Amino acid sequence: MAVSLTNVWKTYGEGPTAVHALAGIDADIPSGDFTVILGPSGSGKTTLLNLIGGIDDVTSGDLVVEDEKLTGLGTDERTAFRRNQVGFVFQFFNLIPTLTATENVELVANLTMHDGSERAIEVLKQVGLGDRLDHFPAMLSGGEQQRVAIARALAKSPPVLLCDEPTGELDFETGRLILGLLRRLNREQGQTVLLVTHNAAIGEMADRVVRLRSGEIVEDRRIADPIEAGELIW
Amino acid sequence: MSPLRHKLLRDIRTQRAQFTAVIVTIFLGVTMFAASYDSYQNLSTSYESTFTEFRFANLTVAGGDVTGFADTAAGRSGVESIELRTVADVPMQVGGLKLLGRVVGLPAETQPSVNQVRVASGRYLSSAQPTGVLVEEHMADHFELTPGSSFEILGPSGWQTVTTSGTASSPEYIWPARDRQELLTTPDNFGVAFVPEPLARQLAGTSTPNEAIVYFSGGADNEALANLLLTEAADSGATVSFTRDEQPSNAALSEDLKGFEELAVFFPMLFLTAAALATYVMISRLVHAQQPHIGVLLANGFTRRQVLAHYLGYGVVPGLVGALPGAVAGVLMARIITGFYTSMLSVPVTLVQFYPATLVAGVAFGLITSVLAVIAPARSASRLAPAEAMRGTVPAGGGRPSIPERIAPPLRRLPIPWRMALRGIERNPRRTVFTVLGVVLSLTLVLVSWGMLDTIVNLMDRQFVEIQQEDATVYFTGPVESGDVADLGQLPGIAEAEPVLQAPVVLTSGERYETALVVYETDTTMHRFFGEDGERSLPTEGILVGQAVGGLLDIAEGDVVALTAAGATIEVPIAGFVNEPLGTMAYVSRSYLEQATGFDLPATSALIRYTEGSDLASVRAALVERESVAAFEDANALYDTVQRYMILFYVFVGVMLVFGGAMAFALIFSAMSVNIAERTREVATLLAVGTERRQISRMITAENMMVALVGIPLGLGAGYLAAKQAMASFNSDLFAFDLYIRPSTLVISGLAILVVALLSQWPGLRAIGRLEIAKIVKERSL
Repeated sequence: MAVSLTNVWKTYGEGPTAVHALAGIDADIPSGDFTVILGPSGSGKTTLLNLIGGIDDVTSGDLVVEDEKLTGLGTDERTAFRRNQVGFVFQFFNLIPTLTATENVELVANLTMHDGSERAIEVLKQVGLGDRLDHFPAMLSGGEQQRVAIARALAKSPPVLLCDEPTGELDFETGRLILGLLRRLNREQGQTVLLVTHNAAIGEMADRVVRLRSGEIVEDRRIADPIEAGELIW
Repeated sequence: MSPLRHKLLRDIRTQRAQFTAVIVTIFLGVTMFAASYDSYQNLSTSYESTFTEFRFANLTVAGGDVTGFADTAAGRSGVESIELRTVADVPMQVGGLKLLGRVVGLPAETQPSVNQVRVASGRYLSSAQPTGVLVEEHMADHFELTPGSSFEILGPSGWQTVTTSGTASSPEYIWPARDRQELLTTPDNFGVAFVPEPLARQLAGTSTPNEAIVYFSGGADNEALANLLLTEAADSGATVSFTRDEQPSNAALSEDLKGFEELAVFFPMLFLTAAALATYVMISRLVHAQQPHIGVLLANGFTRRQVLAHYLGYGVVPGLVGALPGAVAGVLMARIITGFYTSMLSVPVTLVQFYPATLVAGVAFGLITSVLAVIAPARSASRLAPAEAMRGTVPAGGGRPSIPERIAPPLRRLPIPWRMALRGIERNPRRTVFTVLGVVLSLTLVLVSWGMLDTIVNLMDRQFVEIQQEDATVYFTGPVESGDVADLGQLPGIAEAEPVLQAPVVLTSGERYETALVVYETDTTMHRFFGEDGERSLPTEGILVGQAVGGLLDIAEGDVVALTAAGATIEVPIAGFVNEPLGTMAYVSRSYLEQATGFDLPATSALIRYTEGSDLASVRAALVERESVAAFEDANALYDTVQRYMILFYVFVGVMLVFGGAMAFALIFSAMSVNIAERTREVATLLAVGTERRQISRMITAENMMVALVGIPLGLGAGYLAAKQAMASFNSDLFAFDLYIRPSTLVISGLAILVVALLSQWPGLRAIGRLEIAKIVKERSL
């Protein structure tokens, strides 16, 4: 199992002002699944992704990712977990503006290997940016920047890829291209992908859709016959 | 309170550390301004009041026919009073100590009409007590002479006991200088007694006065009158004549005042510039970060003027909060400094006044500086296009390799963290420039202070270790045969004794310059002579003079000048110039001067060198008990005295270093906090992908230190030039303050700034640990 959540709670604040962002989540996500987590704003989907990614800590419950129990991990252990087990793709790309596409990817690749330059070029080619290797973020379109961000996430070859609204800043066509790329990488490399979005249409391309509302899972279904990203309409 | 004002105050509270740094810098700058400027004003006023109240002479003329000069001068329009008096340098003996003191004749019963004294204890001179004297306060304090105590003064008829009628201070001896060429004295080798005029003449062995002092109408400056009288004094054969400005004590005090004046301008300027830089960097970042808020304000109908005023408020608040208490603290400090100074120097009149203008100017300087610093970011805030501002912007900077990488492409193979650091420097060029400027300003402040200290220490070493080679000077009660001096060399503990003759002379070559002529043995080993081209020996023909004389008389090597002493004039060639830090003397060899004058010249003193391991106390005792010896001066005593005065200087430099460090911290802290704040998203992203905090800290530190390293050589250069300028402003014919900064000072200053830079980024780096990664990576970049 790639991810296993047992009665996971995440609460912000205390006493009467406490807000339960997640309220007793139970879910198992098998390795290699492409899972889309849907829900309106404030439903807890990003919180869930952050907990799985180890950038936030559960309030109670058990969370296991790639056989590593995240509950109660210290700062350094959590950093090591993020370095080895997960890759992030953010809505706003979060590229470092002073580094080229290759350097942005290499910086992260170097976390797990001695010289990540070849790996950086390899993954950038995988995402179709072989001709943009030395471009700085400001020279790239939004879609290209997000592809660099995906390459950066893939550079460490993490078993789990966490994508938070990866199409939120992109136009429709570019958004579909990015989703297609993520799906292709999932199929080719067998990575577990968890994609958070408020766009219900994207669920059509997933193996599984989990819908959250007010911190609880209100729907968890497998998609029998997912469509291709290029066929998505929203 | 309007919501915008709430926002302003809350923003300041949120960034309280950075604002505090700016406020402290403004506070220090304004405090220094008010303290030094008010001290300057208080001291100037105290001196001026002293001069007026005690009718300080506008002109002093000694030697030649002073009575004739006084008769002529009395008829000149603008001359209010003239006094004739007798002044003589005579040996004194207080307890067991002999010194070469000075007696100044005063009329008994009534104060003179010029150069009056303030009786601090006891009573003024009385004709009923012909041997009653007033002891000048510096001497009285040192020897603990109080009314009723007695000491001895050597006259032509031998040692004469005098009784202290009282102690007094005088405008002539606020700074106890013997003459213009000998401004530094110690109480062990110089003291002044004001004695009844008949006693002064008796002790000086003269029946007529030898000095005329002139007071102009109301004591006011009158350059034309002074020049006329100086010419007349020269015509009457005066050997010494000087105006109030040139009077030895006043000349020394003027140097001191100049220091305060400089402090009042230079250092506050540095601090306020630093505060302005820090404010600019901080508010520019604030405006950048608040673009969406500004967009919302504008979109909702706030006028551009309102937005401008709001962001100007970020300058007004720290300006007022720093400047108001700074000005008050400075004014209060000035009172303490003035009181301390005037009591230390025994200034007869101390005037501590409240100058509202200083308070207003201090607040205005602080406020204006701070507001000027925020004008540019406030204007850019008011000019934002609302839609654009609300949408946010693409991450700033980047887009190309750094300049070093473009110049040296192999640098592109550096590890990525290093490339990030290199490019980070150029990412926000304006901020980098300001950070570099901050380092430059901090180093300038440190080097100007430390440079002064190094220069003074070096100057003392040059004068007392390199140039003056004697261990002690023995002053004779009267002129002695130079051959007699050789006898001193036979005394136990003395390895060598050389005769020296010193006399006041006037050098004339169109202009005239009064100085002292020192006659050494041709092959003297007691004094070394250094000119532009290094060390040289005493010439066998002609005289050596201080470099300043060359400029003042417009003379060059080989020119002939008239040398007048004791009413006689001879023509002598200038054999060269010497570069000495203290005084501007003339030097000549005994053999040449004897040949030029046709006389066998006596000695007025002897320079002594001890044998190794000799008992100094017994040598001193053996010398002092000789009848012919009037005073003994240990060469180390003056040096030690100056070193003691240096403690004040060390304190000053220490304070400046602390201030410089504080300023550097404030500036670099502001710049680096902004640098780190600008990177928040990058840092959060790097943390999210698993980069260790240590590694991120190293990357940021590398970039910040590179900026500091760029600033250090520039700062060292700027500091050196500023220090040179500062020292040059103290130069005169009496002092040559050639800047000397030890290499270790440069190294330590540079390292200190690096340490400050390292420390100043500490709070920012610690904040990395508190970053809310999950929140930040979701935010739109600004």
